Amino acid sequence: MYRYDEFDATFVRERVKQFRDQVERRVKGELTEEQFRPLRLMNGLYLQLHAYMLRVAVPYGTLNSRQMNQLAMIADKYDRGYGHFTTRQNIQYNWPRLPDVPDILSDLAVVEMHAIQTSGNCIRNVTADQWAGVAADEIEDPRPYAELMRQWSSLHPEFSFLPRKFKIAVTGATADRAAIAYHDIGLRLKRNAQGEIGFEVLVGGGMGRTPMLAARVRDWLPKNELLAYLEAIMRVYNLHGRRDNKYKARIKILVHELGAEEFTRQVEDEYARIDAPQVLPPEQEFARIAAYFAPPAYDDMPDEDADFKQALADNREFSHWVERSLATHRQPGYAIVNISLKPIGGVPGDASSAQMRAVAELARTYSHDEIRVTHEQNLVLPNVRKHDVFAVWQALKEHKLADSNLGLVTDIISCPGLDYCALATARSIPIAQDISKRLGDMKRQREIGDLKIKISGCINACGHHHAGHIGILGLEKRGEEYYQITLGGSGDENASVGEIIGPGFSSETVTDAVEAIVDTYVAQRQGDETFLSFYRRVGAEPFKEAVYATH
Amino acid sequence: MAKKTKGPQVLTGNLLGDGMVVFLGPDGSWRNDIDTAQIARSQEDAATLETEGADAVRASLLVDPYLVEVEETENGLVPVEFRERRRISGPSVNLEFNSRANGQPAFAA
Repeated sequence: MYRYDEFDATFVRERVKQFRDQVERRVKGELTEEQFRPLRLMNGLYLQLHAYMLRVAVPYGTLNSRQMNQLAMIADKYDRGYGHFTTRQNIQYNWPRLPDVPDILSDLAVVEMHAIQTSGNCIRNVTADQWAGVAADEIEDPRPYAELMRQWSSLHPEFSFLPRKFKIAVTGATADRAAIAYHDIGLRLKRNAQGEIGFEVLVGGGMGRTPMLAARVRDWLPKNELLAYLEAIMRVYNLHGRRDNKYKARIKILVHELGAEEFTRQVEDEYARIDAPQVLPPEQEFARIAAYFAPPAYDDMPDEDADFKQALADNREFSHWVERSLATHRQPGYAIVNISLKPIGGVPGDASSAQMRAVAELARTYSHDEIRVTHEQNLVLPNVRKHDVFAVWQALKEHKLADSNLGLVTDIISCPGLDYCALATARSIPIAQDISKRLGDMKRQREIGDLKIKISGCINACGHHHAGHIGILGLEKRGEEYYQITLGGSGDENASVGEIIGPGFSSETVTDAVEAIVDTYVAQRQGDETFLSFYRRVGAEPFKEAVYATH
Repeated sequence: MAKKTKGPQVLTGNLLGDGMVVFLGPDGSWRNDIDTAQIARSQEDAATLETEGADAVRASLLVDPYLVEVEETENGLVPVEFRERRRISGPSVNLEFNSRANGQPAFAA
């Protein structure tokens, strides 16, 4: 993992000091709310429906045990004993008090964390494949580049007041687990015909009220040119992105209005003008960063472990959990252990302080001190010896963290919705809970197979509903919540935007509609056809028949 | 500006210190319970409430005060707008944490 150098540490400490002073001035009345709002937002502090909310950055979703323990401490000391992991791989606290926030930021700084650029019209926390550095299908570890982008984009004077917020995601694998096509900039490490590694660069993806998939502006960019090329993209956006209309200010609108070809031409022109050596880091600096992401000291061992195999054979519950929770590690004898934060009927992405501490302890003991947060609101122990997986599972069970539902129909993404969020138009968490309870029987879930449901409580789409195989959007009409269903969305390497199935549903009937959709798929699929394949083959008609015939 | 509305209104905002939802009471205090809020039945009354809200903002007690239209029912005051109804009832989830009596006001389930 990356460790702060003296510059990073000083910069974060100074920001805490500045914000402490700003809060004091606000409380004394020396700053008005209008003056203070942009300052608090620059430090991740929102005023939500019922209280303040602090969003803490987890750079590219990577934490160590000390950091996770500190997040748990903050939840207990300053909040209500829990935190909410988000689709940006961050964590949010729902109940901090304003006078406590400088102390929280100070406690975060102790473990090299902060809340800078988790809000505002700047480059937000860079997200990455949660299996970065350990995935078997990876071409190159994207984390050094993510860290490079974090450093480059932190308080970059040219990009601190963009037309709108800006999100970058990066993956180094063939399978896209970072939803790069739905980002302002999506980056994928790939090989060219000569076998050299570089970036495929996508620009202009996004969710919100105008969902769009990103356009490819470069099929292959030499990897050492990344920052200079990003700077060219940002300059074109900064110059031509619309500032007159918030709803048309994202880069996706610029790409759409100019057309991908013209946008690309402008980027390439700008790139030709950029003084690249001025922008690019010296080789030694990149090497310094990359060294932090060197693989840990793995034990040299065979891939198969006899005790692990025996436990699989002896314990059906364990084997079911393994089937859903383990992924192939690049190192023989190791596994990537994924932890569901989606208990049946629970709140997607929430973890109690006790659960955070339990995961921290497991990471310290079994995972080379590493934890990852996924954009699907789950956690990962990326470096577990297969020999230790049974012990990890037993410990997870003790803390109610051993649900076997990853990738299944109850592994639902949900934004906080109108239970917390000031922008929301409807509640989303209770719908997720209701669907989870309705379809939660494990046998039934396993029969249904891989299926992603994603729920947003407003058009801003923080719950990624556009990318849901089944997407649900909560709206309000005449004083009642109602829910629009979309089908066929995907955030993977074959990304697609979900299509609205028809008229919306009330909060009482939306779960029935989802169940009818799922049942239709199960009844009519061919062989092991996935939900997405089925939908892409037959379209929405059978689902419409099933849903609107009974409602 | 007071909304041009026929229905009764109350003044609400969030406390600066903890962001909690509060309503202006008849004695000028800020309360969690909407049923104890001062009701404005005319535009003049509403303007008076807004003046008190602006004073509270200047005194660094309150953030973003605004008027909420309510109905007077046998169960108490109920905001007309759905969002406001959700806002006063607190989160409907995570009650084991959110209703915890740890020195912070608990919302009704």
